[in-house]
Amino acid sequence: MERSEKIGLGIATAGHVLLFGALSAGFLSTPNPLKLKSPPMDVSIVDEVALKSMAPQISTEPPPPSVAPERGPTEDAAPAPEPEPAPLPEPAPKPAPAPPQPKAAPAKAAPKPEPVVKPKPTPAKPAVKPKPAPAKPAAKAKPTPAKTQATPATTPAKSAAKPNKAQAPAKASGSGKADKPKGSLLGNDFLKGIQTEADAPRKAPAPPAAASMGPQQKAALDRVISEQIYRHLRLPSGADVELLVAFLDVKLDKSGNVIGTPQVTDVQGITASNRPQVAIYRERAVQAVMQASPFRGLPPEYHNEWKWLSPLRIYARKAR
Amino acid sequence: MNFAIPAIGAADAASLSPLALFLQADIVVKIVMLGLLLASIWTWAIIIGFSITLRRASKQSRAFETDFWKAEDIDRFYEARGKGEVPAARVMAAGVTEWRRSTAQRSVDREGTRGRLSTAMASAISLEIDRLSDRLNILATIGSVAPFVGLFGTVWGIMRAFTAIADQQNSSLAVVAPGIAEALFATAIGLFAAIPAVIAYNRFSHGINRLESRLSHFADGFYATLSRELETQR
Repeated sequence: MERSEKIGLGIATAGHVLLFGALSAGFLSTPNPLKLKSPPMDVSIVDEVALKSMAPQISTEPPPPSVAPERGPTEDAAPAPEPEPAPLPEPAPKPAPAPPQPKAAPAKAAPKPEPVVKPKPTPAKPAVKPKPAPAKPAAKAKPTPAKTQATPATTPAKSAAKPNKAQAPAKASGSGKADKPKGSLLGNDFLKGIQTEADAPRKAPAPPAAASMGPQQKAALDRVISEQIYRHLRLPSGADVELLVAFLDVKLDKSGNVIGTPQVTDVQGITASNRPQVAIYRERAVQAVMQASPFRGLPPEYHNEWKWLSPLRIYARKAR
Repeated sequence: MNFAIPAIGAADAASLSPLALFLQADIVVKIVMLGLLLASIWTWAIIIGFSITLRRASKQSRAFETDFWKAEDIDRFYEARGKGEVPAARVMAAGVTEWRRSTAQRSVDREGTRGRLSTAMASAISLEIDRLSDRLNILATIGSVAPFVGLFGTVWGIMRAFTAIADQQNSSLAVVAPGIAEALFATAIGLFAAIPAVIAYNRFSHGINRLESRLSHFADGFYATLSRELETQR
């Protein structure tokens, strides 16, 4: 071995020791930031599909008799029920301050306990106006019951549950005009009849109803959803656009918000003349759903039923 | 090597520390790695030593040639500097020795003398080149074989990693990854040794070729001088 080779060997050995030492010391070692976690995922295997019967259960109890005794002559009955349902929420709180005062105040106190706290403000105002102390709580109390009354009245009306609508005019006619001897067909007892009638059969099939909907609720739900969608649906212009039907796949969360972007799974009704508008209509259908989000008036207890609307049909001819 | 201990102590399978990878490896892979490490050290020793030798040889030869062509008297120049270790000096020494032997006799065979001169100097050149390029074949061997050796270690290590999968009934990355990493480290060392070896081999054979052609130029010139001298004698 020559001298130059000895020098070379020394340098090479020193260099390797240095290099591997430096590598081992870890200035090149990666800290491995992600620890390769695999979080556990819940997998539920669903094998029961629609095992629950959708047919309404026949209750063994006989329906309670509806008691609606006639009161007074029928002549004046005609004008009373007609205008009542629509203006109900607004006139209910407002007449309290002024108009009913000249009429018999004690007479009203008797029938009105059925709505919440109405009679108290009405006698308080005419009698004790100079006194500031009781007047204020009365004035404060007024708006709150009025509002609470108004909102339940509107929401059931929108959700289009039919028994509720039937109740609303019933309440109006029962509360407002029952005591007048001339007025209505319906007596004070009418409401009791309806309430018991509504409560009794409903409580029996309650458990299935909570999990799955009957056809009536389904239809009502469809109406609520489609009403909100078609309000926002703008059709592309062109021939035969009305024939198009878009099938969408929409997911909703508990508060009615659309999750993600709805997917158009299919479009039907395509003809040669409306073919150019198909793509636009798909977009418009998705837009309409997105604009209608959040959907209101969906019963939260039936979230299972409307959390995944597939297919949601959007008919072009129903657009406004 | 105190500084390497924390890397082992951490036992972080994903660390790239060579020492940790080496210590985790199988015995076969360890042997492969050690061999390749030695090969790498040897390669670099040869590279460094050879570049020193070659540079010195070519520099001295050039200086010797320049001095030789300036010299008035070949015999005196030979006495002064012809006994050195310089390759060009050895070539010249071979030529001068042969010349003296051939012209010592009474009747000179010119053709025979020319042939012997040429052969003597050519063999001196090839001797010098052989002596210089002694280590080059090692570079060539390491450069061509080290990747395969490393690959052998990798294949062995990966086979072992798969056996570990079979043993643990678990194919998650955490089981496989350390084994594959340490196996691949063998190939890494193989390439680490082979790449400089191949580059150095190509570079040094080019340098050796240049030195050889320079020496043969010098030998040709010297041969021409001696041949002319042979003509003018008698």
